[in-house]
Amino acid sequence: MREGVILSEQITEQRVALKLNEEYCSSCSICSSLCPFEAIKRDAETGKTLLEIEKCQVCGICYSACPARAIDIIYYDCGSLLKYLERVKQEYDSDTLVIMCKGSAPDFVGIERLFGVSKFIPLSVPCVGRISEELLLQAIAMGIKEIYLLACDENYCRFGRGSPLTGRRILALNRLLEQLGYGREAITLKRNSLKVKADRDLCISCGNCAFYCPYGAAKLESPGGAEFDLDACRGCGLCVAICPAIALDLDNWERERISALISKLLSEMEQPKILVFRCQWAVFPPLDGELSPNIHAIDLPCAARVDAFHILEAFQKGIDGVLIAACPEEDCKQEGVSARAQHLVTRLRERLSQIGFQDRLHFCSVAPRYPEGFDKELRQFRQRIEAICSQKERK
Amino acid sequence: MIVTIQKPLDEILDSISPYSNILIAGCDGCTQPPRGLREAKTLSQLLELGGRLRDKNFIFKVITVVKQCDSFLAASMLKPQVDGVEAVLSLACGAGVQTVAELFPDLPVLPVQNTHFIGVEDREGGILEERCSACGDCLLDLTGGICPVTRCAKGLLNGACGGARNGKCEMDPAKDCAWELIFQRLERQGKLDLLREFRPPRNYQLRAWRLTP
Repeated sequence: MREGVILSEQITEQRVALKLNEEYCSSCSICSSLCPFEAIKRDAETGKTLLEIEKCQVCGICYSACPARAIDIIYYDCGSLLKYLERVKQEYDSDTLVIMCKGSAPDFVGIERLFGVSKFIPLSVPCVGRISEELLLQAIAMGIKEIYLLACDENYCRFGRGSPLTGRRILALNRLLEQLGYGREAITLKRNSLKVKADRDLCISCGNCAFYCPYGAAKLESPGGAEFDLDACRGCGLCVAICPAIALDLDNWERERISALISKLLSEMEQPKILVFRCQWAVFPPLDGELSPNIHAIDLPCAARVDAFHILEAFQKGIDGVLIAACPEEDCKQEGVSARAQHLVTRLRERLSQIGFQDRLHFCSVAPRYPEGFDKELRQFRQRIEAICSQKERK
Repeated sequence: MIVTIQKPLDEILDSISPYSNILIAGCDGCTQPPRGLREAKTLSQLLELGGRLRDKNFIFKVITVVKQCDSFLAASMLKPQVDGVEAVLSLACGAGVQTVAELFPDLPVLPVQNTHFIGVEDREGGILEERCSACGDCLLDLTGGICPVTRCAKGLLNGACGGARNGKCEMDPAKDCAWELIFQRLERQGKLDLLREFRPPRNYQLRAWRLTP
């Protein structure tokens, strides 16, 4: 009986993205002092460092800061990032590395404009705060000549401390590299944030943006149309997805760019075609490659940027199923925005049910701390879409 | 604002099934929830997908009008768009649909919405509630800004009826008793005297208004 209980516990234990290795831990408390989510604490009685995985958002700041390498992380750890660099160095035929926080990264043209580089190895990570000194030094040792880092504006960092920490880290590292003879600014750090773009000529003064913006960035105080305080805007894209006049757009995630991306992915996909819109904080994608030949994904700055327009466009163009992966409400890096996104998708699903399309659209809430959560949702959705498609063929 | 609810897609598909080239006209006016350009576009996408399941290919042109119930605005914005169009699908309220229908006597102008009432939007609660019956004989100055014609289930002009329980209407316990609200508001403003005055029945002959502004 007792054995049975233990066995079932083992089966239900989920794989987690972050682990503390007690054997290596020297109880220095650096991790617990840096964790933006109070997920790591030092037990006052035993002096042991404890991880509360439910609070962990897998930003990787603790991982990059641990002097004892006592933290194991499954996404973008130093070893796999280096392996990736080694592999793609030839593919991009460049010795310039651009490391970007996904939350603030513009497209290739934008990077060119920001840093003045045209040929580079791109590396997108969920937060630059997870990039350790070790990785940067190893990259230089590997033959990377120039390193550019693109972080979010400090007050805009979704992980709170990732961007400021990176600033301090690069400052110290550059001093060290200068002493070694690598010049004054061996590593260039810049900051960027994605913001809403408004076409006031199209505004119908309905006030939806002003009502729904979680940051008070949109204001409608006169009949002349909504105004935006771009310092307050955090680029979630919710207002863009709900604006009834289609008067808003989001830097780097413009409506037309997403449409073009859908067409491009579609042309590369096998049947049955499944398109995944992922919130970049809900699922951390593999470093390269697609999920499978028939499943392609678009990583958005927040699930709220998923527009009914793009979901329907995907169906119109021949996508068989659309899956939306968002953060659970309590993990949303924007204020309560994932719940709004879920509401919008639910509403669209109700309307799709009137023409028999509802099973082709699915919304799921997943967190990167449990990597199998998304895999499971995707597997189930894939089976459902395969069943729908084979049923259709038989007809 | 005029509150409308969209018809089921099946019903809309039935109504447009004889036609192929269809103009979908949104309305940026007062209809709630907003039925502007986005809604027009979304509707065209849904109808196209629905049409495919019926082996029917529609060609949609999508635009929006500032206010469809204004015949001048509707004409200036819609007239340049109707060449080759076999039918117009209007996202406006009943008044907007009729304005457009009058503009194009040779074209079928089909409604997408069922028009319900003049109301207010509670955005927090996501609720739309009726507030005005357009009776043509406003007495809000005498009732503390709360309309008994619309909000009292019995439309009483001399309430309350006495059937309310805990401030809720006996016809629908989800709704507040309008006359209790009126009483509280007038009490607060020290104007309870207004309730002593008897109000004669409204003139129900006033219908199909026609006015000169």
